[in-house]
Amino acid sequence: MAENNHRRNITQKQFLLLFLIFTLSLATGLTLFSSISTITAWARAATGGLFLPILLSLILAFLLEPMVSFFEGENVPRTVSILVIFLLLAGLLALLAVWLIPHLQTTFLSLKADFPRYLARGMEFVNEFQANLQNRFPFVEHYQISTKIRTFSESLFAEILLQTPKSALRLGSLLVLVPIFSFFFLRDGRRMVRTCLNLVPNRYFELAHDLYFTVSYQLANFIRGRILEALIIGIVVTLGLSLTDIRYPLLLGIFAGITNLIPYIGPIIGMVPGFLIAFVDLGMGGQFWWIVILYLLIAQILLDGFILIPILISKFADLHPLWVIIAIIMGGKLYGVVGMIIGVPIASIIKITIIEIRHYRSSFQLPDVPLENPRLM
Amino acid sequence: MHPLWSNIFRKNPAEESLGAFLGTVPVFCEANKKDLVLLETLVHVRHYRSQEIIFEEGDPGSGMFIIRSGRVLIFDRQPDHNEQELALLGPGDFFGETTLTAAIPRIASARTLETTELVSFFRSDLQEIAQKKPMSANRILLGLAKVVSERLIAVSRELRMAKTTLERISSSSAQTE
Repeated sequence: MAENNHRRNITQKQFLLLFLIFTLSLATGLTLFSSISTITAWARAATGGLFLPILLSLILAFLLEPMVSFFEGENVPRTVSILVIFLLLAGLLALLAVWLIPHLQTTFLSLKADFPRYLARGMEFVNEFQANLQNRFPFVEHYQISTKIRTFSESLFAEILLQTPKSALRLGSLLVLVPIFSFFFLRDGRRMVRTCLNLVPNRYFELAHDLYFTVSYQLANFIRGRILEALIIGIVVTLGLSLTDIRYPLLLGIFAGITNLIPYIGPIIGMVPGFLIAFVDLGMGGQFWWIVILYLLIAQILLDGFILIPILISKFADLHPLWVIIAIIMGGKLYGVVGMIIGVPIASIIKITIIEIRHYRSSFQLPDVPLENPRLM
Repeated sequence: MHPLWSNIFRKNPAEESLGAFLGTVPVFCEANKKDLVLLETLVHVRHYRSQEIIFEEGDPGSGMFIIRSGRVLIFDRQPDHNEQELALLGPGDFFGETTLTAAIPRIASARTLETTELVSFFRSDLQEIAQKKPMSANRILLGLAKVVSERLIAVSRELRMAKTTLERISSSSAQTE
């Protein structure tokens, strides 16, 4: 009995100890977890506004790099050549702003008045289509597509209208941050990369160095190609639309150019407003069909499909349509409309990186820089 | 004097500037002062412990290494896992310069024998300056071509000697038969 009691005593002590250890570890775990989540929350809050400016300035740096190299080749110091290019660019932007802002203001105001009209006609069209569909297939349940689309696009447009003055503030901070960031990326990018590469262990240093070079070369080409493609499509659509009596050719051209960054789906989305405005304002006449031909045949099939993509974009960057959709959805979840636009290029960048690494491992052939395609410069 | 103070005012001869060191390397014999300054920003200084593998035979070769201090063993791995020594290199020597122009695998392995400081210069950087600073790249490439052709001459001379020895041996063995 005494023995039993003795044993029980020990177990009680052990139990107490165990209890203390458990409580302590639980408390430590909770503290650690909460502090880590606070730290990540802090980190997220601190870096939240940085993603877009850094991305944009990286893109700008990639775009300006050939020009800087050109000046540098003429024996102008790198910092000076970057400054010269920035000054030229700033002058160009200022001129553009002086010319464009009054124009944009009137466009904006008239669009505010016109948008409900376009939307109403678009809804009518959808309703007609739905009625037609239900006539032919009576088993299709009465489903209010039109009201859904209407509420969605109305809220979207309202948000755009509301956000524009608000985002002007953000735009202002971007206008300050992006030039500063891209200036330093351009000037010290090499040194930053070298510092990072120097952290690689000796055994993998050579490999890392080569991989960085290969991947960055392909990425620079891809980014330059995509931006140039969007620019050319935007200009061609704007010019083509200017030949007709359609309103807002410039706005529609910019929209078509930006949406062209998204493969497969982007061009279709880019066409919709053009078709809608043409249909509402001009009717189903010859001009409407010219606009259809312009968007579909000239811009997309002839220019993009046969000329721009084969020249500017390497086959590496091709994404399966499924990946495009996934990238758009994921980008949209993370960063809204901006995320939808940049999601696909980022997916392409990831794909290029993976393919380049695989290609390098099988053949370790560096791209021939001296024989670089002069069209991309 | 206290070593701390002496070190501040007097430059240790081993600590001579990287550019001056690069100027002594035969590959950069054609380079002028400006090129050496440029080269300083292109090369990577790497520190190796003793018995560390620098590269293995068959690795993707992407540049040359120059020994700033320490010793490096170039060797060949035999099928029976034995190492056959090909060369023992010391400060100022360089190796792997053939991969500076052509993407070929390493034809031998390299390992450090003691704590070593290596200066590496890679093909991708050479390609970059070939575009940006063609004149500097020209001088570097000329130096490289000189080194490679000197080695080619040495090798062909050795090959000729080996051939004549072989012929002499085969003719003498034919006479004895």
